Amino acid sequence: MKQHQFEADNAALWQEIGAILDGSQADRRALPVLYRRLCQCLALCRQRGYSPAVADYLQTMVGDCHRLLYGNAVQRPTTLLRWMLVDFPCRVRAEWRLLLVAMLALFGVALGIGVLVWHDPQLAYSFMTPEELAQVRQMYQPSNIKVGRGSSEGDVMMFGHYVWNNISIGFRSFAGGIFGGIPALLSLAFNGMHMGVIAAWLSKDAATRETFWSFVITHSSFEVVGLVLASMAGMKLGLALIHPGRLGRGHAVHAASEKMFPVIVGAALMIFLAAFFEAFWSASTTIPVHIKYTVGGLGWALVLAFFVFAGRGRQ
Amino acid sequence: MRLLDGRLSLITPEGIRLLLTPAGPYLRAVAWTIDFFVWSTALSLLFVIFPKGKLGQGLYLIAMFFTYWGYPIICEVYFGGRTLGKRAMGLEVVRADGLPVGWRESTLRNLLLTADFLPMMYLSGLICMMLDVKFRRIGDIVAGTIVVHHERKLVRMPPLSAAPLAPPFPLNADQQRTLADLFERERSLPLERLAELGTIAEPLTGKTGADSVEAMRGYVAGFTQ
Repeated sequence: MKQHQFEADNAALWQEIGAILDGSQADRRALPVLYRRLCQCLALCRQRGYSPAVADYLQTMVGDCHRLLYGNAVQRPTTLLRWMLVDFPCRVRAEWRLLLVAMLALFGVALGIGVLVWHDPQLAYSFMTPEELAQVRQMYQPSNIKVGRGSSEGDVMMFGHYVWNNISIGFRSFAGGIFGGIPALLSLAFNGMHMGVIAAWLSKDAATRETFWSFVITHSSFEVVGLVLASMAGMKLGLALIHPGRLGRGHAVHAASEKMFPVIVGAALMIFLAAFFEAFWSASTTIPVHIKYTVGGLGWALVLAFFVFAGRGRQ
Repeated sequence: MRLLDGRLSLITPEGIRLLLTPAGPYLRAVAWTIDFFVWSTALSLLFVIFPKGKLGQGLYLIAMFFTYWGYPIICEVYFGGRTLGKRAMGLEVVRADGLPVGWRESTLRNLLLTADFLPMMYLSGLICMMLDVKFRRIGDIVAGTIVVHHERKLVRMPPLSAAPLAPPFPLNADQQRTLADLFERERSLPLERLAELGTIAEPLTGKTGADSVEAMRGYVAGFTQ
C-alpha cells in the first residue's frame, strides 16, 4: 500500500487518538482499542519503510498513549500515614544489625571520647580548637543562652539554621553511604566525637552543666536518632553495592533504595521535628529545668517505644 | 532496521518498541549549570525581599533548604520530569520503563546528587555516566531512572507534488525510507548540497546534479502516492 493511501485510510483513527490525548475528547474509554490499532499502524509503517516523518509522528503518539495508559498511579490518600507509621519502623527493625553498627559508631565514639575528656580535659584540645571550645562554653553560660539569640526572632533564625544545617547533614550522610557505607560511618564517628567532647567539656564546669543537659535532652532524641537512621539507610545502600547477594549490583542497590526510602524520609521528618524543638523549646528560659528533663525523658521513651512496638503485626 | 543513533528500545506489552534516546554528560552538565544559576538568582531575590534581621534570616534559611532540596524534586514530579535547565536543553527524566517519574524515584535520585558530587565537581557521577550504556549516574542507577531527549513532534510535510516516476529497479523498504527522508529535510539543505547528493545518486537515476534530484523526487512521489 502506498504511503498516501495508508495516511488517508488511517487519518480518522489518528485524529481520534489525538483528540483523546490533548483532552478535547472527554470520554477516554475507547483508548485501549484505538491504541492497539495505532500500534498496528506503527508496526506496518516501519515494516513498509514509509517516510521517517510519519513513523516519528506515530512513534510520538504511541509514546504519549503508553504514558496515559500505564503511567497513572492509583491515588491512595492514607498511604503516607500508613507508610510512616507501619513501613518506617518495620524497615528499621528489619535492619537491626546495621542499626547496631551505626549506633556503636555514634554512641560508642561519643561515650569513649567523652570519658577520656572527662578524665583528662586537656585531651579536648586534640579534638577541637581552643576557640571553638571557648565559644561553646560562652554559648551555654546561664546568662547567655537566651540573650545570645535575642527573643523570638532569634528563635526563628535558629530554626532556619537547624533545618538547613541538620537535615542537610542527614541527607549527605545518606548519600555518602553508597560508597560502601564508609562516608556514613565517618560522618557518624565525627558527630559522635563532637558530641562526646562538648558534653564532657561542658559537664566539667558546674555553671554550664545544667544549661547544656537541659538544652539537649529534648531534641536530642529526635535529632540523634534521625541522624543514625539516615546514616543506616546510606550504609544499607553501600552494603548492597559491596555484597549484592543474588542480584546484579545495580539491581541490588535499586532494591535496597526501595526498602530504605521510608527510613530516610522518616529520618528527615524526625530531624525537622528536632529542629522545631531545639529552636522554640530547648533554649527557653521561662520553662523550668525539671519540666525540660521530664519532657526530654518522655521524648526518648516515645522514640524507643515507637521503633520497638509500632507497626508490629500489621505488615 | 538498524539505525546508528544511540536509541534505547523498550518493548511494550502491545509488542511494539518505544524509542528513547539517553542524553550524554555534556547536555546534562549544561542543564545542571542552568538550574544552579536559576536557584542562585531566586535565592538572591529572596535575600533582598526578606526583611533584614534575625526573623528574615531564619525564613531565608528555611527557604534555602526547601528550594535547594525541593526544586528538582517538585519539577520532576509535577512538570513532566523536566526542571528549567532540562527544559532548556530538551531533556527529560523518565523511569527505566519510559513512564513518568514518581516521588520515590525523584527524591532518591536527587538526594544521591551528593554522592555523585564526591570527590569533587561531580567526578563520580561523570565516571559512572561514561561507564554506563544508558548514561546513568549513581543517582539514576539507584532510583531506576534515565535522562532522555524529549521528543518533539515533527511537522508532517505536505505530499510531494511531482509526477510519479518508476525507479529503474525495485527499492526495498530501507531505501524508500531514505529517499523519502531526503525530501522531508529538503528545506534545510542548501542547493549545492542537494546537487551533490544528486550526483552521488547517479547509479540510481543515471543523471547528475539537479536533474538527478528531480528524478528522485519523481520516484518518491511514485511510491508514496
